[in-house]
Amino acid sequence: MKKILLMLATVTTTAAVALFMTLPGAGQAGPPGGGGPPGGGAAKGGRGGGRGRGGAPAEPAGPMPKTPDGHPDFSGFWNLPDPPAAGVERPDAAAGGRGGGGGGRGGAKGGGAPGAPGGADVATIAPGGGGPPGGGPPGGGAARGAGGPGGGAPGGGRAGGGGGGWVVDPPDGKIPYTPEARAKQQDILANHLADEPELNCYESGVPHAEANRFGAQILMTPGYMVQLTEFLHAVRIIPIDPNRKHIDAKYHLFQGDPIAHWEGDTLVVDTTNQNNKTWFDLVGNFKTENLHVTEKFIPQDANTIVYESTMHDPTIYTRDWSMRWNLTRDMARPNSDGHPHELMEFGCIEGNRDVQHYTEDKGGKAKQVLGKKQ
Amino acid sequence: MQQSEVTRTLTNCMMTAAAAAFLFAGSTAWAQKYTAPRAAWDSSHPDLSGIWQAKANAGDDIEKSIVDPSNKKIPYLPGGAAKVKANAAAKAKLDTMAKCYMPGVPRMMYMNYPFQIFMTPKYIPIVSEYSHTYRIIYMDGSEHAGYIPLWLGDSRGHWDGDTLVVDVVSFNDQTWLDKAGNYHSDQLHVVERYTRTGPTTMTYEATISDPKVYSKDWKISVPLTLDNKPNARLMEYECQELAPAVE
Repeated sequence: MKKILLMLATVTTTAAVALFMTLPGAGQAGPPGGGGPPGGGAAKGGRGGGRGRGGAPAEPAGPMPKTPDGHPDFSGFWNLPDPPAAGVERPDAAAGGRGGGGGGRGGAKGGGAPGAPGGADVATIAPGGGGPPGGGPPGGGAARGAGGPGGGAPGGGRAGGGGGGWVVDPPDGKIPYTPEARAKQQDILANHLADEPELNCYESGVPHAEANRFGAQILMTPGYMVQLTEFLHAVRIIPIDPNRKHIDAKYHLFQGDPIAHWEGDTLVVDTTNQNNKTWFDLVGNFKTENLHVTEKFIPQDANTIVYESTMHDPTIYTRDWSMRWNLTRDMARPNSDGHPHELMEFGCIEGNRDVQHYTEDKGGKAKQVLGKKQ
Repeated sequence: MQQSEVTRTLTNCMMTAAAAAFLFAGSTAWAQKYTAPRAAWDSSHPDLSGIWQAKANAGDDIEKSIVDPSNKKIPYLPGGAAKVKANAAAKAKLDTMAKCYMPGVPRMMYMNYPFQIFMTPKYIPIVSEYSHTYRIIYMDGSEHAGYIPLWLGDSRGHWDGDTLVVDVVSFNDQTWLDKAGNYHSDQLHVVERYTRTGPTTMTYEATISDPKVYSKDWKISVPLTLDNKPNARLMEYECQELAPAVE
């Protein structure tokens, strides 16, 4: 379902938002500029009362709390942005209208953000709000509950006239593919979008796993950061242990093999051993098993983690390249009956029709696309 | 006189217990003396964290792990045995795990896949290697939320001394308890007990109630083993890669 929506968003954000509003299970879209009704996402999961996703805090956030061992404590519920509908690369200026993903995404998130400075939040979290014609309505994403003072976050610069894309290096916002790899990506985009791994409920891979809807709960324990993501019931178990060794190079996993260490207050994660079945977004920006990702979780304030990833894979990229976005604290409120906010169970496989939507709707036959594809 | 008889009886009991402990070193009688290491950031509780796996392949036939009733039979209401038989005959189609759905509780805890427990004061998440399935045990004193039926239920925990006790409700009626077709309804109620018994061992017990399916409560006990190798990690069993094509 998600993929269909995002594809539509590339055509017109208005259409995407309209469709969201018709979907059972999707939250109601807040009006442009934030200010959606509290608990607007109540339809999700059928729980009585409001889902209680909140908006940005009115007061500036203080510093990130600390764990008992003195490191930043990222524990809590976090909003992860969806990748831009047009992909992580910065769209060409001529391709105006591709930057709308952020707007549609924000509206779907539900709960309003009374008093939130909508436009600025969209700009820092989901590029596209201030983009070229066709971009999301300014403020449409405010309901995501963006961190208030995030406007000055590293990465805020991409909110400017570029109108989308998450690639911050190289400066042109493009993935530095070799010519052969670029041709492959273009072929996927044109002919093989149904290979998108999440259609089959596979985990998203890294760094895409830090950009998925419905948010995540992070738990810090001695020696681990654990990320439980509602979408796809995906998991990242990140050992914080500089003495740990990566698993044998012959093993390839959807979420890779992360090993983390602290550099000051920044959690640096070295992720290897990924398989080649996941993408960076929904439009075929791909990877190989040789990919080496260096991730940085940089606490900016109590409600904002700046997330950076640097990709190294000389087999398809001519140089290393980097992306950056923000994880913002989910200001979730308790349910209307006072029950604490909690992750819901996301059963992906049963009833999944994404592959059908991508194939039968185009006249093809539904099939398992990974592993069995000819 | 009466008192000495009592004393003698007690002595006999103690000797019997000692003999049992000697003969079955590592059994419950022996292991309850074990004091587990404390949780790193919460010294008031034992440390249950780590990568655990059921020792026996209890997921094939849960009746082998029954400790109550003593006949090791699930006390089905009339018609239950016939349904189990029919389930088993069509398990490739009816067992939702054949379609890679979430396995339910308690089945998640004794499948042939390891799981990792993490400990924080308010949340104890358990992540299975099977199809990135996770459940969260809420330790914040909250009550069952009255959720819609879930694959893994709604888990609320508390401590009974050094034993973690978890009360689980809000199940759907689609999962089974094992590969043999043993089943439950949406009235399933599971009370789990996790007790460390040694440096690398833990006992997992579950009392299983379901008035729509069973005539009385019944209980299983499954030994778990800790993988304490320094570099141990959960791998990925991405089930649906091997599943039938989407119909």
